[in-house]
Amino acid sequence: MAINKIMCACGSGLGSSLMVQMNIDDVLTELGVSGVQVEHSTISDVQPGAADLFVIGRDLEAFVNGIPDEQKVVLVNIVDKDELRGKLKEKFDAQ
Amino acid sequence: MANAIASMLNRDNVMIWEGADSWEEAVRVAVTPLVDHGDVEDCYIQGIIDNAAQYGPYFVICPDLALLHARPEQGAIKTALGVCVMREPVFFKPEGPGVRVLVTLSATDSNSHIEVMRQLATMFGDPAKIEAIATAATADEVYHLFVDDAQA
Repeated sequence: MAINKIMCACGSGLGSSLMVQMNIDDVLTELGVSGVQVEHSTISDVQPGAADLFVIGRDLEAFVNGIPDEQKVVLVNIVDKDELRGKLKEKFDAQ
Repeated sequence: MANAIASMLNRDNVMIWEGADSWEEAVRVAVTPLVDHGDVEDCYIQGIIDNAAQYGPYFVICPDLALLHARPEQGAIKTALGVCVMREPVFFKPEGPGVRVLVTLSATDSNSHIEVMRQLATMFGDPAKIEAIATAATADEVYHLFVDDAQA
């Protein structure tokens, strides 16, 4: 499935999720990926169909059971760009 | 370009504390200066605690660091920052990680604080920087670690 839209989410939709969004923007540039819309929101907005790929912290994993594994990236360390890069690359390579 | 951290972090909102008996108490201690300063309403504290009770401590963004925040409508008055260093780590979950640096963010909408978040993300991506903040001798030192080194 083509990844055109990525949604990052946290409990309140403006702290952790925004940090992840900025890191995703940087990583996509590094990976040479363009034309992907990235946004941040609250965990309750994570619903099938809202985006092609969802990125969340591990603490919120239990709240995204409705999303298939191939459409989500779960981060152990939210500010670790290396972890993000590795996991995002996997998804983009698989699309 | 202006230093976003310096413009949002008041020296009065930076402190060092010995430790807290619970994570809820730690949140109260860390956020109270922002209440006193008129940056957030008192209910913002409960908002953070309620959010954590519902979703878990999603604001523990890496070992030793919590970015405490609630929704704008949960009592944010101004876009502001606070920093509380705990000598005894706080455990938001029994299994950890322990957190010594508690940064409080008050944001009035989803986007007005983007620049400061960019600076904080860069800071927090460096474990040595977090360690320096956690072990700073005085609140003045903590304050300067935030405002002086931030990349404008």
